[in-house]
Amino acid sequence: MFLPDGSQDEIGLPLNNKAKATELFRKVATERGFKAISTPVVEYAKTFTNTHVGMKLHSLLKWFNKEGEIEVLRADWTTAVARAISNQKSKQTKWFYEGSVFRNDREGIESKQAGIEIIRTEPFLGEAESVLTAVAYLKELEISNYLIELGHTGIFEELTNSLKLDSETEERLLDAMHDKRRDIVYEIAIDYGSIQQAEQLTELIDAYGSVDQLKKYRSIWKDNKRLTRILNHLIELANVIESNGGEVLLDLGRVKNLPYYCGVMFKGYLKENGESCFSGGRYDKLYEQFDEKVSAVGLAFDIDVLATHINNNERKESICIVASKATHIQAEQLRSNYPNANVDIQYEIKDSDAYDTIIHVNENTN
Amino acid sequence: MKPIIALTKGRLEKQFIKFLQSLNYEVEPIINKGRKLRVETDTFQFIFAKGPDVTTYVEHGIADLGIVGGDIIAEFQPDVFNLFPLPFGHCRMAVATEDGKVWPNQKKKIASKYTGITKEYFRNKGESVDIIKLEGSVELAPILGLADGIVDIVETGTTLKENGLVVQEEFFSFSARCIANRSSLKIKRDVLTPIIESFQKQEEYV
Repeated sequence: MFLPDGSQDEIGLPLNNKAKATELFRKVATERGFKAISTPVVEYAKTFTNTHVGMKLHSLLKWFNKEGEIEVLRADWTTAVARAISNQKSKQTKWFYEGSVFRNDREGIESKQAGIEIIRTEPFLGEAESVLTAVAYLKELEISNYLIELGHTGIFEELTNSLKLDSETEERLLDAMHDKRRDIVYEIAIDYGSIQQAEQLTELIDAYGSVDQLKKYRSIWKDNKRLTRILNHLIELANVIESNGGEVLLDLGRVKNLPYYCGVMFKGYLKENGESCFSGGRYDKLYEQFDEKVSAVGLAFDIDVLATHINNNERKESICIVASKATHIQAEQLRSNYPNANVDIQYEIKDSDAYDTIIHVNENTN
Repeated sequence: MKPIIALTKGRLEKQFIKFLQSLNYEVEPIINKGRKLRVETDTFQFIFAKGPDVTTYVEHGIADLGIVGGDIIAEFQPDVFNLFPLPFGHCRMAVATEDGKVWPNQKKKIASKYTGITKEYFRNKGESVDIIKLEGSVELAPILGLADGIVDIVETGTTLKENGLVVQEEFFSFSARCIANRSSLKIKRDVLTPIIESFQKQEEYV
């Protein structure tokens, strides 16, 4: 029997590492006052494809139900949790989840995530708690070589407001900014605005680096109150992260890749190989579909990525107790003599190299 | 560690070497690489691959930067930073048919290597077509009756002409482009920025 592309069986260490990463995430989240929430694996497609969320139907794993409605496998936790929370009317503000999401448009159909959602909370508090939870979790995983990127949707909005773009052109410009494609950014900006605006937007493509490298934008944007406020906000948040041992990179040219982002955006990179290990941000707009005006922020960790970076040094002694049907009860009782070892009971040794110690039990053994 | 550049083998490779030479980078190890697919110079590590594979190596972070045709990026749409055009590798995407051939009064059959671009082009025109995927020598398809026309890149137009084909419409123009891995560009900023800046400064070269 074969497996479809993107699906895979897992055995041994990778599986243990994922379990450990999830277990440590639950520990960190619980200790910080988050409450667990889970949503079903099967949802209606429109939960993810409505205009507030904006996911593409072709990227979802879908089928028709008996009534002809399109159902999908959970494609995004944040959207599903927002739906669940808005139904619950709970006073709880901090939630955590862990489980799989399923997408057609990325390598590996199923990916394991764990994440947090903070709603109805003072915006800076929610954002600081999100990134500090990331710092605490990565510390718990003993991962120290990482970078947290901060961006803000308001910068692009502010710099393109006066261009009066139609929605199709705005989409093209967003795509070009997302791809840091300077020729197209310049081309669109000059068609709809001045040379100065085109140069300003093109320069934004290169506006990524450390906080110190980007402090110059304080003077560049000194006459624009909104941009100054956003920049100060990002620098304050960066300070919170750096004061707690994290390294920060600002990308002032980052744009949202889903319509519901509206403010700060986070992304975590492992410096060793550049893999993205978490992402998230502010998405108050997501709750507008439920006629709610709430503050909402959160992030999701990529457990599949983090699990490959766990140092699994906790190797226990491996013992095999060789027994028989007649001595099985004795062998089971003997197991308690080795509380710090992995103890296996066999009637016959097939692979002696698999064990550190082999103990034979016969009927005379006490 | 030296930055890794994935470079498209063939014509783009030769043009890129001239481009590097004009920027005073060392190129001798690339010129004399023989059949090696990995070569190191004073400044870079190079890997050599076909265009679509260049985008794959960059997308997966094996290479930090890539030099690849804009046609390949438009067709395969890799998840990379598509930074800027380079001053070589210019070509146009065109629809071509046999000289004097009239389009049939039914759904057209179009042969192409670029099935994604072809689909998008005809969809934007509001026209349904049957697309036949070919891997090369696309000009043969209308001549041998496999398709009514082709969509392919045109540089000088000589190949089309020699095979009795004429351009009906040109709809995109491309050049070689510099692409970057989404993480590398940020994490290796200090190493990559001077290289990228030097590539951008060179508008023209001999």
